[in-house]
Amino acid sequence: MTAATETPAAVTAVPRASGAAVIALARFETRRLLLRAPVLAAFAVYIGWTVWRTRTSWDGFPALQDADRATQGGPLLVGLAVLFCANHAVLRSRRHDTDRHLDVLVVQPWRRTVAHLLSVAAAALLTGVCVAGQFTWEALKPGAVGHGSPGELLAGPLSVLVLGTIGVLLARLLTSPFAAPLLIVLLFFLHTVATAPDNGHTVRWLVLTVGENTATTLPSDLLGRPAAWHALYLTGLALTAALLAVLVSGGARLRTVRAGVVGAVALTLVGAVAQGQGVSRETTEARVRASAAPEKEQKCAERDGTTYCVFPEWTVRTDDWAEAVAGVRSLAGGAARDRPLLVRQRIEARYGLDGDAAIAPATRPGQVTVGTAWGGNRVPEFTAAVAGVLVAGTEAKAGAMCDGRMVTVMWMALAGRPDPVADLRRVRLDDSDRGSAIVLSQTEPLRMTAAQTELVRELLRRPEREVAAKVKAEWAGLTAPKVTSDQVAALLGLDEPEEKDECL
Amino acid sequence: MTPTVSASGLSLRYGGTRALDDVSLRLSTGVTGLLGPNGAGKTTLLRVLATAVPADRGAFTVLGHDPGTSRGRQELRRNLGYLPQTPGFHPDFTAFEFVDYVAILKEHTDRAARHREVRRVLDEAGLGDVRGRRIRKLSGGMRQRVALAAALVGDPAFLVLDEPTVGLDPEQRMRFRELIARAGEGRTVLLSTHQTEDVAMLCHRVVVLAEGTVRFDGTPAELTARAADRVWSSAERDPGAKAGWRTGLGTFRNVGDPPAGADLLEPTLEDGYLLTLDGADTEVTA
Repeated sequence: MTAATETPAAVTAVPRASGAAVIALARFETRRLLLRAPVLAAFAVYIGWTVWRTRTSWDGFPALQDADRATQGGPLLVGLAVLFCANHAVLRSRRHDTDRHLDVLVVQPWRRTVAHLLSVAAAALLTGVCVAGQFTWEALKPGAVGHGSPGELLAGPLSVLVLGTIGVLLARLLTSPFAAPLLIVLLFFLHTVATAPDNGHTVRWLVLTVGENTATTLPSDLLGRPAAWHALYLTGLALTAALLAVLVSGGARLRTVRAGVVGAVALTLVGAVAQGQGVSRETTEARVRASAAPEKEQKCAERDGTTYCVFPEWTVRTDDWAEAVAGVRSLAGGAARDRPLLVRQRIEARYGLDGDAAIAPATRPGQVTVGTAWGGNRVPEFTAAVAGVLVAGTEAKAGAMCDGRMVTVMWMALAGRPDPVADLRRVRLDDSDRGSAIVLSQTEPLRMTAAQTELVRELLRRPEREVAAKVKAEWAGLTAPKVTSDQVAALLGLDEPEEKDECL
Repeated sequence: MTPTVSASGLSLRYGGTRALDDVSLRLSTGVTGLLGPNGAGKTTLLRVLATAVPADRGAFTVLGHDPGTSRGRQELRRNLGYLPQTPGFHPDFTAFEFVDYVAILKEHTDRAARHREVRRVLDEAGLGDVRGRRIRKLSGGMRQRVALAAALVGDPAFLVLDEPTVGLDPEQRMRFRELIARAGEGRTVLLSTHQTEDVAMLCHRVVVLAEGTVRFDGTPAELTARAADRVWSSAERDPGAKAGWRTGLGTFRNVGDPPAGADLLEPTLEDGYLLTLDGADTEVTA
């Protein structure tokens, strides 16, 4: 038996396939870019951080108008890695002196630049997939409310695109390998300067991603963030840098490229000017209405004798609030058990997202304030407010309370919680379960003395049913104004507290 | 035979230096050697023919394509394989990746077909076993073969090789000669070299360039014949010789105009080359 070997025939190129060659080259460059150590590391950190954070973010109750903004930070790390590596890739031929060889091949230098730009676009696209995954995860959480903005979601991927194209352009302008690291330092500096608190809206929005100074959640139509214009601005920036890179690498003879540069600059300017206009008059007026007279904007629903009036995006959360209210109400005695309550969602939106402003306690009898956030510490804060209103009659009176009623209020607020002592610590400003402390609330904070804290701790240790029976039986005495902690202890069959009974 | 390359009156100046002066050439299938001393204009001529730099004057075509037009230049490049002098490499690429990269730049867009072609040229260059190795880990000779493989991608009709055997040891040079000889079967190869042995062994034709002008254009036998009756042996270096050196036998080999009764020797291509350069304002590098 003989074996015959055959030399394979040479493969010749498909004539006039420059467009397809650019795509093939872009695939080649994309693979190399995405496998570069800095890019791999940046994606690993970004994805790891995103997964770690999203697992517990907003305690499982995200507002999607906040969740979209939360997608913008991580991509900056990826963008800087892409800037550095894309710059490095473009400089590769010069660094290793292959230009004189490669420049006589069919695919011209400006087409090679296009391929590098497409590899950057692929990295931006991959970032977009990560952003979409992060946002979808938040949106699929059972406690999710609100609406995300496509403009906000685009900011992360577009930042990667802008940084990557700047890396390519930089390599076409400056051949030094130190230019990219220096540019990264310069970008950090510019970002710090531009986002300084004393800078105006126009300057602040010139950076890639614009954070906010508050954790306040507002209805999505009150945010006043020019996200769509900012996305246009970033698109314009990326296109300008990309087309300039093509232009300086030999595409200057192409009329379409020159026209494209003009168009991209115009796009950037339109976006920059439009995003710098500030908050519209309509939004400002809507913010005032939502803050001063929320009842005009809200929908109301009744559950078990309590009316819930909330902004439309939060109606799905009524059941969570109703469950919390029912738990507190079931522990009350006397007339409080059937007292009609109005749970009203209240916000202070007049300052937008520029700062956290306190909400004054409601003075209307039976009205409880609920905020826009839920889950975690917000739940015991809310149940404390409900209990305070059931005991004192109004939020304002509950806030002014400085007597033994606080023992009943705090026990009612916490007794039904899965880990009441832990919640006691969380709801107190100093995170302790001993001594006097401020108790956090949506409006006016409540105050606990050291003696009251001691009694609440003791009550939470005892079986809920046993304590509930005593509370209901002694309701009138326990909720009488000016009742002392010693009297409360006596009514509930507890030892007199040893600690001081002085409000902060 | 229709020439692959037809050049006439090519001239190029670098500042005040005349690198090429009215060079005319017609190249057809087979290996043509380009000999000349340092600074003769060999690399410049190759760079002009490879469209790396345009000539100041004159014109040339490759397979009828005129590089003076954008379309002609592109068509010419589609038919060109170019191995520059001391080619650069991307050291973190594997041999396969580098040749694949060049193949893409030669518009080989079908991935499967391109990879077949890359494997073919790497095998042809004797690099099949090391194609997955990073270029930084390859020896100088292997790198040179990677560059040749890159030039061979797509089976170009016109192959321009600028001193491909410089710095190679004898074994590597032999391998390279085999490669170039195979490459010259069915395509036009222009081989610039200082090595007259390379020309003698590989080329069907030789062009001698000095001071930017063509001093000789003919077959290696014709160049050798220029030294007929002009090489002789003597016990001492003949002061009348253009060049002379002591051989391993202890006698002197002289090139030039021999004295009467001299002990004439069989000339070599190198003797013809040296005599061709005689009179040029160049250093004879024998």
